[in-house]
Amino acid sequence: MNRLKQIQQFLKDDHRYVFLWTSLVAMVGAWFSTQSRGPKSFLAGVYAFEVAMYWFLMAWLAVSAVALVWKLTHWKNYEETSPFTKPMAKKLERVLSFAVIAVTLVLFVDRAVMGLASIIEVALAQDKNPNDFLGSIVYMLDKSGDIIAQGALITVELAVFGTLIAFFLAILLVFLRIQEIDRSDNDFIRFLKTFGCEFAKVYSTVVRGTPMMVQAMLIYFLGFNILRNTGMTVSEIGGIWSTFVAGLVTISLNSTAYMMEVLRGGIEAVDPGQNEAARSLGLTQWQAMIKVVFPQGVKNAIPALSNELVVNIKDSSVLSVIGVLDLMFATKTVVGIHFRQIEMYVVAAAVYLCLTMVASWLLGKFAKRLSVEPAPLASVSDMTATVGTVAGTGSSEYSLDAKRREGHKHDEH
Amino acid sequence: MMNTNERGPLIKVEGLRKSFGSHLVLKDINFEVRQGEVVTIIGASGSGKSTLLRCMNLLETPDSGHIWFHGEDLAAERVNINRLRQDIGMVFQSFNLFNNMNVLDNCTLAPVTTKRTNKEEAERRARTNIESVGLSEFIAAPVTSLSGGQKQRVAIARALCMEPELMLFDEPTSALDPEIVGEVLNVMRDLALGGMTMVVVTHEMAFAKSVSDRVVFMDQGVIAEEGSPEQIFGNPQLPRTREFLARYLED
Repeated sequence: MNRLKQIQQFLKDDHRYVFLWTSLVAMVGAWFSTQSRGPKSFLAGVYAFEVAMYWFLMAWLAVSAVALVWKLTHWKNYEETSPFTKPMAKKLERVLSFAVIAVTLVLFVDRAVMGLASIIEVALAQDKNPNDFLGSIVYMLDKSGDIIAQGALITVELAVFGTLIAFFLAILLVFLRIQEIDRSDNDFIRFLKTFGCEFAKVYSTVVRGTPMMVQAMLIYFLGFNILRNTGMTVSEIGGIWSTFVAGLVTISLNSTAYMMEVLRGGIEAVDPGQNEAARSLGLTQWQAMIKVVFPQGVKNAIPALSNELVVNIKDSSVLSVIGVLDLMFATKTVVGIHFRQIEMYVVAAAVYLCLTMVASWLLGKFAKRLSVEPAPLASVSDMTATVGTVAGTGSSEYSLDAKRREGHKHDEH
Repeated sequence: MMNTNERGPLIKVEGLRKSFGSHLVLKDINFEVRQGEVVTIIGASGSGKSTLLRCMNLLETPDSGHIWFHGEDLAAERVNINRLRQDIGMVFQSFNLFNNMNVLDNCTLAPVTTKRTNKEEAERRARTNIESVGLSEFIAAPVTSLSGGQKQRVAIARALCMEPELMLFDEPTSALDPEIVGEVLNVMRDLALGGMTMVVVTHEMAFAKSVSDRVVFMDQGVIAEEGSPEQIFGNPQLPRTREFLARYLED
């Protein structure tokens, strides 16, 4: 929203930059004008009109050049000396700058949009794969697009469910990981704590130290062999231990280890004094962890945790080796049908990019919502109303501090 | 074993030793605090006074020695330290408030979680204590929005909400700006006048002089000298006590 306002102001109010940036727009427009027209171009019929538009843009470029030279030669007193800064001239310049944008838009629609439309129309009408890059992509998406869509859906499912499952497993595991022997623990608790902590350490080391591709293979074939030994047939096994299930298990278990380390980092970043204070009041290690340290630790970890979803969207592509029908597998399938590698992998890259961008945008909104301060309670707003009566004891500092924290928050982003 | 009558010590430290690595911080400390007594511990940085205080509720584990409280030895292996700590309040130099909560929740968390009282009673008690440290209007404010002096007063209220028998203060004003030290010391003075048993590690000599019943001077891990404030400040026996006080009274 803020950026929109900035652009608006840039367009409307700031005279000094009108020439600078609209001349760039005019250049783009002129470049479109020099491109050849597609079969669907609507300007082809009104050639004279297009020539007029072209020369209008050129004239604008010339005027802009003069204005910029004037500015360079009269750096100090440009405002007073330049004919471009007279009120009437300013008004005219603004109107003309909008005309430049409009003309460029018309040329953009004629060349780029209508050009693309005609490429699509041509490609759809073909009965064999066209040779041009865009046409070929359109042709293949028309014929095999549903495979890609299916694959993208599977990828999203793997990433979303995998990350969610991993989050809960990571919370359990990080509890084991950060256990410390407390004085009042009996031998059994001590054994459990030591065992849990060591287990979490070993798990994290093994999972983070081996490639997910190998993990996927191991998990899939282990599950397969175990079920085979119970006497099930291959098709029965396929019903419960499908490649999708094996893939989901792999990505969940893999992500758990990374998320656990992220959570541990967040928890260790909480000032240990708060834990000490909680313990000094008589809370047990567990109570201090649950009530004080953990909520703050998870909050610290949220940005890095949400990044894990983005990582999983991308990393799920290695699951195609065990035959999970994800986006990568689907792309390979389509390549196998049409034998056009570069075009299809560009499509796959674009789809992955869209997915990760949407995911990080959503997660950004989510994180923002989670880290907002709790809505001020009634007595807090009462407090600001009584600033005058408690002047000097810190009410004014309250708002000052709040602002300072706002500032910090902005810095972090 | 332990003398628990009215006149006996509330907490008694015997032969306490503590080292960090090869550095011996506390060398055979013997020390006791009677019911209702206000003891200040003074001494140079690194003399072991904070460590002694932190040993008294086992935030630091002593290497050897005994800490008798309620007839139990805090330093013994597998003592139920969580229950004993409920009767020993502690105020830290860096406040250590729970940053994920507001002022009221900071004060009610421990009484409710340790099942000392139910929620209503805990809130009632918290309101009383928050009022007594003069912060009623901040009861719902997030603690991160408070100034240092306000934070420390909340920390005192939080400790009081457990209705402890003993309060430990670990340099409670050292992290504060000079002009707001007074607001915290006033709260502590009121507490002392109210009969609370207190052990205060501090560099505020004027406070030590006027409020405490007994002053303990620590130097290099031992209690070098102890006595009434008049004795310690008026007529110190040891040269090193004189030297330390001279340095402080210069300022």
